[in-house]
Amino acid sequence: MAAENMNREVVLSVKDLKVNFRAYGGLVQAVRGISFDLYRGETLAIVGESGSGKSVSIKAILGILANNAIIADGSIMYDGMDLTKVKEDTFHEIRGNRIGLIFQDPLSALNPIMKIGNQITESLRLNRKMKKEEAKKVALELMKSVGIPEPEKRFDQYPFQFSGGMRQRIVIAIALAGDPEILICDEPTTALDVTVQAKILELINQIKKERNLSVIFITHDLGVVANMADRVNVMYAGKVVETGTAEEIFFEPAHPYTWALLSSMPDLHTKDRLDAIPGTPPNMIYPPKGDAFAARNAYAMKIDYEMEPPMFKITDTHAAATWLLHPKAAANGIEMPAGLKARIERMKRSGALNG
Amino acid sequence: MADSQYILEVNNLCQHFSSGRGKKQLTVKAVDDVTFGVRPAETFGLVGESGCGKTTTGRTIIRLYNPTGGEVLFNGRDIAGKMNPDLRKYLTDNIAMIFQDPIESLNPKMTIEEIIGEGLKVRGMKDQAEIRKMVVDMLRKVGLVEEHATRYPHEFSGGQRQRIGIARAIIVKPKMIIADEPVSALDVSVQAQVINLLNDLKEEMGLTILFIAHNLSVVKYFSDRIGVMYFGHLVEVANGEDLYKNPLHPYTKALLSAIPEPNPITERQRVRIDYVPARDHDYSNEQPSMVEVEPEHFVYCSPSELAKYREQIAANA
Amino acid sequence: MMIDRNNLPEELLNLPDSAFESLHQEDIKDEKFQTKPVGFFKDAMIRLSHSKVSMLSVALIVLIILLAIIVPNITGYTYVEQNIELKNLPPKIPVLCDLGIADGGRVLEKRKVEALSDTSRYPEGCIIEIVKEYELKGVPMCDVKVDAYVYQGAPDDQYHWFGTDYLGRDLMTRLFQGTRISLLIAFFSVITNCIIGVVYGAIAGYYGGKVDLIMTHVAEILDGMPYTVVAILFMILFGAGMLSIVLALTITGWIGTSRMIRAQFYRYKGREYVLAARTLGVPDATLIFRHILPNCVGPLITRTMIAIPGAIFSESFLAFLGLGIKAPNPSIGVLLSNGQDVLLQYPYQVLFPAILISVLMIAFNLFSNGLRDALDPTKRGEE
Repeated sequence: MAAENMNREVVLSVKDLKVNFRAYGGLVQAVRGISFDLYRGETLAIVGESGSGKSVSIKAILGILANNAIIADGSIMYDGMDLTKVKEDTFHEIRGNRIGLIFQDPLSALNPIMKIGNQITESLRLNRKMKKEEAKKVALELMKSVGIPEPEKRFDQYPFQFSGGMRQRIVIAIALAGDPEILICDEPTTALDVTVQAKILELINQIKKERNLSVIFITHDLGVVANMADRVNVMYAGKVVETGTAEEIFFEPAHPYTWALLSSMPDLHTKDRLDAIPGTPPNMIYPPKGDAFAARNAYAMKIDYEMEPPMFKITDTHAAATWLLHPKAAANGIEMPAGLKARIERMKRSGALNG
Repeated sequence: MADSQYILEVNNLCQHFSSGRGKKQLTVKAVDDVTFGVRPAETFGLVGESGCGKTTTGRTIIRLYNPTGGEVLFNGRDIAGKMNPDLRKYLTDNIAMIFQDPIESLNPKMTIEEIIGEGLKVRGMKDQAEIRKMVVDMLRKVGLVEEHATRYPHEFSGGQRQRIGIARAIIVKPKMIIADEPVSALDVSVQAQVINLLNDLKEEMGLTILFIAHNLSVVKYFSDRIGVMYFGHLVEVANGEDLYKNPLHPYTKALLSAIPEPNPITERQRVRIDYVPARDHDYSNEQPSMVEVEPEHFVYCSPSELAKYREQIAANA
Repeated sequence: MMIDRNNLPEELLNLPDSAFESLHQEDIKDEKFQTKPVGFFKDAMIRLSHSKVSMLSVALIVLIILLAIIVPNITGYTYVEQNIELKNLPPKIPVLCDLGIADGGRVLEKRKVEALSDTSRYPEGCIIEIVKEYELKGVPMCDVKVDAYVYQGAPDDQYHWFGTDYLGRDLMTRLFQGTRISLLIAFFSVITNCIIGVVYGAIAGYYGGKVDLIMTHVAEILDGMPYTVVAILFMILFGAGMLSIVLALTITGWIGTSRMIRAQFYRYKGREYVLAARTLGVPDATLIFRHILPNCVGPLITRTMIAIPGAIFSESFLAFLGLGIKAPNPSIGVLLSNGQDVLLQYPYQVLFPAILISVLMIAFNLFSNGLRDALDPTKRGEE
């Protein structure tokens, strides 16, 4: 995996991005210096709770931040451009055409009084300068490829005539209309039922393979992450606290926050008391000194309250920002909780059993 | 299910919503012929996807809606009949509800103290100091501090608000709680807080809980028995373990096959099962009904399906 | 930027061992809030005070109200005091008159030049300047600008800042007295509308179903009645006066408010917190007034603020049609109506009431826009 990554082409590179929001309580530091690369043909999942800055960082990539947001520092390099500095006109060209977006709520992403067909062809005719007939042909193809039965009939229908899952398929078709190379999915299945969610995830995976897309997948559902992701960024309080391949994050987590996330949710086998993460995330107007997670961390050390931990490299693809990885912390003998260890063992076994 | 081992008995409950009049009348059978029972101090989970009628079932039991048909017995007393002040009092004293949306379920213009203390005031408690004391006790119980009492809901995080909602429900010491998707709107990291809190309270107060949710992993962890709903019907009721190991109804199988697990190995090999009612059932000749296929395991099925399910169980054993 | 654990940079390697002492945090409690509690209205007021336009309009409204209270008492005239000799005097303001502005001057056209020296017709010192000289049928004529005050025989120290009307009444006194009455009419009618609308809309919205159906139809029938006709009917019944006008403005004015309140009730009565209160056994009245109504306060205040200039305008409109308040009482509408009769000869008689009503309406409209934004819950916390 590691060697593979070295040779792969980076399509999007975020460096030390900082985004603040003005509010009269003060400056909310929503994103506090995150860096990551997105490679061609991979799915990068960004996991974190609300307020962790995951949505804000992709909004910065798409240039759709709210008016009171300020990009304080950093760069987003895409195709030789720094997206933090390009003009709105350039963004019109990028959004939809080169970077597609799938929203959380398919209903509000569609125009309720416009026929489905026109919503798909609109972007084709605007961005790819197609004639009406040609656009319709391409749109029907797209609808077929996202699994909409009887596309000719559905072409002239309105969003309210579609179910939630079908609407999300339309949103995906619209996102694909510009033939983008990056697809950003912002919690695309949270509003959907489990059985529908499974189908949509399958669809996104299939499209990704067919088109060799790079996908940024934002979610808080670790089950979905396990299903979709090649690599995972775990975010907390505006920072990436752990990054690694899906296997590394799920089977060899290193950051206490990742431990907590993994052990806080029951799976179908859990019987013991859950390890809840106590407390609440910090107020980002006053981000704490040191490690932002320290106050909720049962394994906190003195230094966590004094100094921010750097990203410690574990393998070429795996790194985590926790002082526990400092050689001097080894004396404390802190490792992941026993319950989580047992669960990971069980997961590995069940995987081996099925395979 | 007529035996009195149940604290809450729901028999053939129907809740139909109709709009329009005459020829244009449209009836939606949100809950149709639902029958189940909940034992004292147990947690009964109700799962299903959006629109399956699980929330409506809960709201009908606590009489936010007037049921179209059927009966609901609480400790043997019918609570689905005509509403009167006496029944209202019986209902509100015994059953409380926790809601889904942590933002929507607290009045934004009231302080936390007013919100939690409201149930006490309604019950005629006048002494401000005593109310305050009980509210603060309750806040501590759900892991908040006294200083929070004077604050407004919007200042709290989702998990904290949900705990406030729980405090509001249990301050009147009900025997039963209907929890309608109490964790589904919360962040993963705080869902566990709320589940643990509910578990503690359940043990401490001997609460009976009707737990309504769409997340089968959470329901399975939290509930003793589980009912699966699909389009207004209860299709399967069983012990959590049974339901997971031996799902009989094709919809239950489809639901189980769709739950994403935080395990990249199994996730990449996942085989999803589709549920298509028209293909999976043939009800042209026979009418389905709720049948106890094996002890404690009920399935909504027709006689021929019943025979098939029994064979399946025999084969598994 | 990633740090190799086996090859630590100096500053990390040299961290003291003690820093890595484990704290064994067990009982982690929720944090106390670091921010101060901010209630909904406080938040709205903060945002309102940040809006310059809103603050300017508030200042204007307050200024006009203060003027309406004070001015009629300090001009030295009353709004009924007539003096036919001094009718239609132009504005004359001390200090400014020395600069040639508002000097009480009026241009008299086609006067014989020889008559100018006749002190019985042109009292001494009344002529300010001769504007134009020409000959008409062989007679030397001129247009002459005179000080109308001296010309009409007013005492030296008499000033009418806004001039006088056709009965010689001081227009400034009448204008602010009129503002007083117009504002009173507006406040009374708007408050009555508000109360009726809230109660009616709350009942219809909360109970819904048949109750709502009947109440909505009744409102629709009332809404169909043209209010000029209703106004005339009230004039016949109660005579011209404030009561009739307020009633005329009320008979249909509350319907909009009640519709808004009804819609808000429909929106909020299904909210989870209202349901939660119901499951606790909270009685209907508490649900209506404690849980649902406070959500309508924002839109209600906004609506009321918009209704005030509307009511003032409606009153002026009625006055214009001659359905105004009973003479000699002035209102802005009455003054406008009187002024437009002599618009071409004495434009200032319309000018001042027109400016005042415009400023009043713009200020109220801007203020209510500001209020609407400030009370919009979706904009909470923004700057």
